[in-house]
Amino acid sequence: MRALLGARAAIAFAVVVAALALLPVVLDLSPYDRNLLTLAFLMIAGSLAWNWMGGYLGQVSFGHAAMFGIGGFVAARLMMEPSPMPPLLAWLLGGVAAGVFSLGAHPTLRLRGPYFSIATIGVGEASRLVFTWWEDFTGGASGLSLPIDIALKARLYWWALGLAALVVIASFLLRRSAFGLQLLAIKADVDAAADVGVNATFSQDVVMVLSGAVVGLTGALYASFFAFIEPSDMFGFDRSIAFVLMSVIGGVGTILGPALGAIVFVLLRQFLLASYPQLYLGLYGVLLILIILFEPLGLTGLGLRALRAWQRRRPHGGAPRTVAAP
Amino acid sequence: MARLVDLAVSAVLLAGLYATMAYGLGLIYGVLRVVNLAHGGVIMAGAYLGWVLYGWVGLDPYLSIPIVVGVTFLLGMGLYRGLVRHLPRGPAGGPASLLLLFGVWLVLRNAAYLLFTGNDQSIRTAYSTRAISLFGTWVDASRLAVLAIAVVTPLLLHAILWRTHLGRAIRAVAQNADSCTLVGIDVERIYTITFGMGTALAGLAGLLSATIFSFNPGFGSGELLKSFVVVVLGGLGSVLGTGVAALILAVVEVFAILVLPSYLTAAVGFVMLVLVLVVRPGGLFGQRVLG
Repeated sequence: MRALLGARAAIAFAVVVAALALLPVVLDLSPYDRNLLTLAFLMIAGSLAWNWMGGYLGQVSFGHAAMFGIGGFVAARLMMEPSPMPPLLAWLLGGVAAGVFSLGAHPTLRLRGPYFSIATIGVGEASRLVFTWWEDFTGGASGLSLPIDIALKARLYWWALGLAALVVIASFLLRRSAFGLQLLAIKADVDAAADVGVNATFSQDVVMVLSGAVVGLTGALYASFFAFIEPSDMFGFDRSIAFVLMSVIGGVGTILGPALGAIVFVLLRQFLLASYPQLYLGLYGVLLILIILFEPLGLTGLGLRALRAWQRRRPHGGAPRTVAAP
Repeated sequence: MARLVDLAVSAVLLAGLYATMAYGLGLIYGVLRVVNLAHGGVIMAGAYLGWVLYGWVGLDPYLSIPIVVGVTFLLGMGLYRGLVRHLPRGPAGGPASLLLLFGVWLVLRNAAYLLFTGNDQSIRTAYSTRAISLFGTWVDASRLAVLAIAVVTPLLLHAILWRTHLGRAIRAVAQNADSCTLVGIDVERIYTITFGMGTALAGLAGLLSATIFSFNPGFGSGELLKSFVVVVLGGLGSVLGTGVAALILAVVEVFAILVLPSYLTAAVGFVMLVLVLVVRPGGLFGQRVLG
């Protein structure tokens, strides 16, 4: 049954990805819709990668903007004069740089729970200040403009879709693997996990580097997508918050959740910035409060509840259920 | 040399403010085991409250202390009764309370944007620019007043915690809440009051900051992190420890100006935060903060 479910889910996933890949060819998508979708794909990748730390490992990071920014700026620099690299290589190196950088945060891994979160705020904000100050690299407050031609910008739709699809598959494999189980054990109790032979330090390092590298890759594609980046946006605290919000809205620790959360986040952000820019932050705050109080699994939890309610109402084995336990 | 004296004096003045901020965070953490991420938001709210009372009613910022403390006390009690009470606590409670209080912070920030726009504000009184000669250097009168209040506040707090019945109950709950239920202490009531007190201290710190610095709705994030540095470095339940830790942070920050480009001095606090957490999670004095 589980294998069947897995096979069904895999087929459904393949169909969805194929449909999305064909979408711009079949339908005449407006640049606006196309950009929105590209952004959503990128955010799905970033939010799922954040979720490897925040959901599987239980280490809630408020500092992932640092990796996003480093990936973006390294890739941007590599694509600029005097010796521009091919985009794919530049993006990958951006991701690698971000992964290496996140290894530098290794000492924070001995902290758990709120202490880790607070330390990541410190790492994130310190990175923002240092990289804003480092004008030779990031262009300082005035930022960098990338030489992106129209053709590459159009192709980014598929690159972003590919990245998101790969990250979904990676999340699935990670969740199903023995390594994924080790992560859940660390999340539940790090000492107990160590007692049964889980190398907690090593596992956490691996997840942090992977998560940082993918978020860096996302930042690299994002930089090419917007063709203009500045440190206060790429490294900003709001960007770190976005990763947290997407996963929490969708459902921390699940696969569908962060992906769903990213889509909702991108759409909601677009709508709010257009119509109610003054309510932008507060609405996310209210959403966060409501989710934590009433449905810690976010949209995924709501979906599961609805599913259960529907199954309960459906008559079982032909006979309607009449007995209701008090 | 004169510059060094200048810097030393301003470090001491800053330390008082940092200590006041940190007490609120430390008190709530020590008793409830909740990291109050809304702390920065309340600091910001305290600043605006003082600004509103001064600008609209004409009340002197130092006279508005009881009002600001009272309002933020009620705000804190409300936050506890309405939100925090319903969550799991402690290191095992997971990120729930952290995220919830972070949501509260976002709401507070947004409310401030809506009410007061994003412009920088400051409380400028007739004596704001007055300076007093001290140790051969000139010291702002308002900074001195802030220091005086920052010295009195912990003494008052210490007196409440160690000399009153309520204080004894708070300390008992911090040690073992279950046993307190057995001897008839209303633990929920103590939690509510403690959260109110911690929040009121944040409000007071905000008001005091507003008499020295300019602020906007984003104000408070740096203050939250600095409070955290002081709490971790100073350890819990030690008034002296908190004071010394605040002084260390202020001295490092102020003297960083001598060696770092001025833009980067703001990063010193963040770097120190990470270093303190990683290298010395037990703090210099008092109890180990790390669960």
